[in-house]
Amino acid sequence: MIRIIPKEEYCIGCRLCEIHCIVQHSKSKDIIKAFKREPRPVKRVEVEEEGSVSFALQCRHCDEAPCITACLSGAMHRDPESGAVVNDPERCVGCWTCILVCPYGAVRRDEVDKKAVGKCDLCPDLEIPACVENCPNEALVMVED
Amino acid sequence: MAAFDYDYAIVGNSAAAINACDTLREFDKEGSMAIFCEDRYRCYSRPLISYLVAGKIDNKGMYYRPQNYYRSIKADFLKGTKVESIDPGKNRLTTAKGDKIKWRKLLLATGFKSFIPPIEGLEEVDHLSFISWDDAKRMMRLTGKTLNALVVGAGLIGMKAAEALVARGAAVTVVEMMDRVLPQALDDEASALVAERCQLAGIDLNTGEGVTGLESRGGHKGRAVLDGGSEIDFDLLVMAVGVRPRAELAEEAGLSCDRGIEVDEFQLTSEKDIYAAGDAVRAMDIVTGEPTVNALWPVAALQGKYAGMNMAGAETSYPGNSSMNSVEFFGLPVLSAGIVNPPDDGYEVITYRGEREDYRKAVLKGDIIVGMLMAGRIERAGILTSLIQERANVRRVKNFLLEEGFGHINFPRVVRQGRIMDEMAGLRVAGISGDRGGRS
Repeated sequence: MIRIIPKEEYCIGCRLCEIHCIVQHSKSKDIIKAFKREPRPVKRVEVEEEGSVSFALQCRHCDEAPCITACLSGAMHRDPESGAVVNDPERCVGCWTCILVCPYGAVRRDEVDKKAVGKCDLCPDLEIPACVENCPNEALVMVED
Repeated sequence: MAAFDYDYAIVGNSAAAINACDTLREFDKEGSMAIFCEDRYRCYSRPLISYLVAGKIDNKGMYYRPQNYYRSIKADFLKGTKVESIDPGKNRLTTAKGDKIKWRKLLLATGFKSFIPPIEGLEEVDHLSFISWDDAKRMMRLTGKTLNALVVGAGLIGMKAAEALVARGAAVTVVEMMDRVLPQALDDEASALVAERCQLAGIDLNTGEGVTGLESRGGHKGRAVLDGGSEIDFDLLVMAVGVRPRAELAEEAGLSCDRGIEVDEFQLTSEKDIYAAGDAVRAMDIVTGEPTVNALWPVAALQGKYAGMNMAGAETSYPGNSSMNSVEFFGLPVLSAGIVNPPDDGYEVITYRGEREDYRKAVLKGDIIVGMLMAGRIERAGILTSLIQERANVRRVKNFLLEEGFGHINFPRVVRQGRIMDEMAGLRVAGISGDRGGRS
């Protein structure tokens, strides 16, 4: 499956990954509409920064995913084809148990459509996830295992 | 004839049972499997009954697994089949209908039941519990018109019942013996925040008061007398003073039990070939170091998973659990894990109070983080939960724990990279200082 690896030695903290993540998960996929005219989706990647060090972090798609085990409704599951850990917003009730157990802080409240959580879905519609594709310094790299 | 009717017999059909079945099938593609389920429901999520009653989800949303689930894991789903007794020596169980079934490995995932307190007159009042789909159906049938509902007990179940009743248009009164709502899951401060929201929604909260007597006025109607002497008339009574492990099957078969079924680190009971998991079980609490019944969905699911692995022969010890709660009342989310109310002075408590309902707390024992609570802003709470479960030494990051930007950036580079690159995340990654503390 696809995994995204952060390289903190290359990250410049520009947060373009966050911006393109939001655009990719917006209704129109248009940067101006996504930020100005539509309900803004939650970012599914987070740049952590302290002084000169920074890196971007999103869901690790853990092999033993605590969010899947803990999910009350069964909404959080592993996609049998891609192996990605994905949330089904139709079944998610927004109980936030996944937020309570994710060791990476990679799940966020996303109340755009309904009360549910949002997390990295590895951009299933794209060949290369938006955050990786738009990183100007290859500080996010995609590997396949 | 085969020596056994089933390789795996599962008693129960909820979080622990289903996660055990998933894992069994993952590790053993062929072994035969049967699920003995007392009621007639496909596996559903009990914590969702309050969402159902409040109209936030429909019946379809209650199911924990898709319709073809049992077929997909090649399990016989024996609904409406109560297990009457188990015979450890003979690897055999007997159903209520008298069928005798032989198994190679057995899982007891019998869950919990409501604790019915000895209150005078309670038997005469037709009251509700709030732990099953049937309870939810009853509540929906009885509400939707103007009525006065009384909820006894302000724990998680009682408060969820109260919230659901408000959504059904009832005038709700809650009585709780302790001095605050959600006394186990929350501390004073967070409890006050939740209480404020509940009161704004019109719930009449009476904490520090117990019900001493009940008087039936026919059917569901009645009158409660509180220990302060005041009286409350109600059209509907919900009893939610606590739950107890359903350990009767295990007890009657002579399995070692002590306020819950006792298991070892492999979820094995005192009898060989018999495993147990979920709300009926006392398992190791990582934080307190004591065997504890943590009757919580995520804990039950995790125990089920480990029981499944061990039943299938992949010996793996259960990493332990801690108390953890994610609750939301009238739009205010509160997340907590581990010890939120330190039992004595031997703990350090760090708190942060931001604007409005933003409240956070960390509890430390020495340099080890043992508890956390976040209200209002709950983002990234799981980072703290994972540090608690790892028993991480947080000496070097103590001052940052409750800050908004707290995350992996605050960890030493080698630890951070270890965590990020370790796909088998969660419970097994090293603590911040590299030492995991110790179980005392």
